[in-house]
Amino acid sequence: MIVPYHLLQVSGSIVFAAQGTDILSFNSSLEHLSTWKYPVKATETPSEAVADAEASATLEAPPTPEGPPAKRRRTENDEKEVQTGDAAAPSSTNGQKKGRFHHKPQPVNLSNEKPFINCLLTTANGSHVIAATGSDKTIWVFEHDGSGNLKQLSQRAMPKRPCSLTLTTDQKTILSADKFGDVYALPLIPSAEPSLPPTVQSLPSRSATPASVPVPFKPQANDKTVHTKRNLKALENQKISMKLSLKAAAEKSADETQPAFEHTLLLGHVSMLTAITVAPGIGATGEQREWIITADRDEHVRVSRGIPQAYFIEGFCLGHEDFVSRLCVIPSRPELLISGGGDDDIFLWKWKDQQLLSRANILDQVKHAVEPEPTKVAVSRLKAFALVSGETMVAVICEKIPAVVLFNLVENTLQHIVTYTLKDEGVPLDVEMLSNDKLVVSIDTTEGVGPNAGPFLVLTRDDPEVWDQKPIVDVPAGETELNAHDLQKLLYTTESLRKMSDFD
Amino acid sequence: MGVKKNKKQKREDYRAAMKQDDVLTMPRKKFYRQRAHANPFSDHQLVYPPHPDQMDWSTLYPAYVAPEESQPEANPSATTTEEEETPVKVKKLTQDVEVADIGCGFGGLLIALAPVMPQTLVLGLEIRVSVTQFVEDRIKVLRRQNEESRAYQNVSVLRANTMKFLPNFFRQGQLSKIFICFPDPHFKARKHKQRIVSTTLNSEYAYAVRPGGIVYTITDVPDLHGWMVQHFEAHPMFERVGVEEQEGDPCVEIMRNATEEGKKVERNKGEKFVALFRRLEDPVF
Repeated sequence: MIVPYHLLQVSGSIVFAAQGTDILSFNSSLEHLSTWKYPVKATETPSEAVADAEASATLEAPPTPEGPPAKRRRTENDEKEVQTGDAAAPSSTNGQKKGRFHHKPQPVNLSNEKPFINCLLTTANGSHVIAATGSDKTIWVFEHDGSGNLKQLSQRAMPKRPCSLTLTTDQKTILSADKFGDVYALPLIPSAEPSLPPTVQSLPSRSATPASVPVPFKPQANDKTVHTKRNLKALENQKISMKLSLKAAAEKSADETQPAFEHTLLLGHVSMLTAITVAPGIGATGEQREWIITADRDEHVRVSRGIPQAYFIEGFCLGHEDFVSRLCVIPSRPELLISGGGDDDIFLWKWKDQQLLSRANILDQVKHAVEPEPTKVAVSRLKAFALVSGETMVAVICEKIPAVVLFNLVENTLQHIVTYTLKDEGVPLDVEMLSNDKLVVSIDTTEGVGPNAGPFLVLTRDDPEVWDQKPIVDVPAGETELNAHDLQKLLYTTESLRKMSDFD
Repeated sequence: MGVKKNKKQKREDYRAAMKQDDVLTMPRKKFYRQRAHANPFSDHQLVYPPHPDQMDWSTLYPAYVAPEESQPEANPSATTTEEEETPVKVKKLTQDVEVADIGCGFGGLLIALAPVMPQTLVLGLEIRVSVTQFVEDRIKVLRRQNEESRAYQNVSVLRANTMKFLPNFFRQGQLSKIFICFPDPHFKARKHKQRIVSTTLNSEYAYAVRPGGIVYTITDVPDLHGWMVQHFEAHPMFERVGVEEQEGDPCVEIMRNATEEGKKVERNKGEKFVALFRRLEDPVF
């Protein structure tokens, strides 16, 4: 199946849309302008291409991955893989049945591990576009010429996979929040001139011992710190094999050496980060300051000071009872923050005081949109737009729910305007505002859609509650193809943040 | 004598017997053993409040529950202004928890601290279920044994993953002391991220501890000691306490000799490394 446009970003009159590994640009009438393609590397093996071809040929039956994924991951439909596996990759499927302990070294299939773009961002003036790709953990910076053409400036591989990107208010520093819970600052333009204030000290990372030179392996335990017979024996063995492991240790520390470009660890959570944003405000001394707001999978919204005091936590906006997946600072009223995630409500905060102003129910607003009625929602997009009238509109998309919920910000509450239900146009993936209060929605049209469905839908506002829709069909269909299962994994990642705890 | 009971059965019987209201004998560790490590990153079935204001401390410190009539004025935070959902009625305490022992293990430090700071509420936090249960039973018995003197009413224990949920329990600056005693050393380099001390996590300790408050650390692993010192010293919100002041602090002596692990290290004639860190004043921003 062809990957739909899963990320949108409007900058002036240009619409950027990510489609799999590519970034396409459109003008405000959604006419295609240009495309940036992910540079194909030599590592892409022919066997992978074959797998892709098979995937596209058999739309209904997703071929199994040709081996265990590089990392252990929850597999939702093991049975399915076993069923269809023999046809697609006869050499590999038997391991799956036996359970987790039967891993053979097999060629790793990268078809679901392509470096898909998972963050897309533009600078305020539209001069640069920033993107992050998933599997290769890379942050890309492009120069934008103002008419949709992108020129790649830099490509920086981060220590861990970035989950969310934002820019500081001066637009000179990228903040990257990653799966490991850390937030790094890196200059937008990596150059000789330091764009970070020299006072910013990188905190020692907890992922690696700070010594970057390979140190010979030395057991940290000694016979005073281990007490049981078995552990003592293990320690003895460790000492004996110290010589052997010296080489391995050297290799390992070589792996763990930090990337060569300038990057600074600012702060970190222990949980996986899901969103990061920056909010401007006035500091205690009356100066213009900014705060970094981060959200994690364990219900926290943390407010930290901006650079250079990012180590200082101002407080937590606590109240969510499930994961937080999206944060949005309202551009017209930057003292307000909206957060949403696995809860039935979205929360409106006065973030500086960590004060909850109001909540707005999302679940009730989308219940009618899908059969059977959902019992929970996972907010996958949460954006605030300034309307021509000066009002602020908030648009919410929940994962796999064919509706866009629109709210009006009135004082300190979110008032529901309308839930725009997409009957047979498909499932919305992202939403952005074009000029003149027009909303552009990118759509997943891969399942059960009507004849007029297109990759984009433009919603024009006639009246606060009445929206006129126009599908945009005439856009490049894209070349990235995926099987149904991998496509689901690419497009719908929010619900999987919910805890399904049966540990103890 | 009937059929020989298996270990699990014995354990269950013992634990059930400990639930009785009149038990006065101390619990025995052998019925509460648990694997020494817990993964702080996995989603344990934990109970934690969404917000510190919603934490019910009354079951942990029943002797400190505020009388009903003082309820309306005893609402220090104004964060719940327009909350429409029925706020859980939480019984307030006459005072807040001020000392936390993170990773309290079998609770040796808690029990030793209780008589030293009788006016302060001390809370042990432990991630392992059985071990938490042991400390709970231990405190229960101690409270019963000392009903007259009302000793040990100021200590309690809670199962929690503090690496993730410290701010769910404590408000900003609520704590005056945090103890981190003999933490899991996580020897392997790839497990270092699971260590309880890291510079990024120290920000959360700085949040929970008030300016002037002290974080106490002790370990018998030299490398871990080095790690903790390095990471706390690298954090702009902490400074290391000098040796003189450190040795003058009565808590240090207790930490050295009263913790279960401290006693074990003593028996094995191991070394103990102590480091104290003071939370500095909030910088101006």
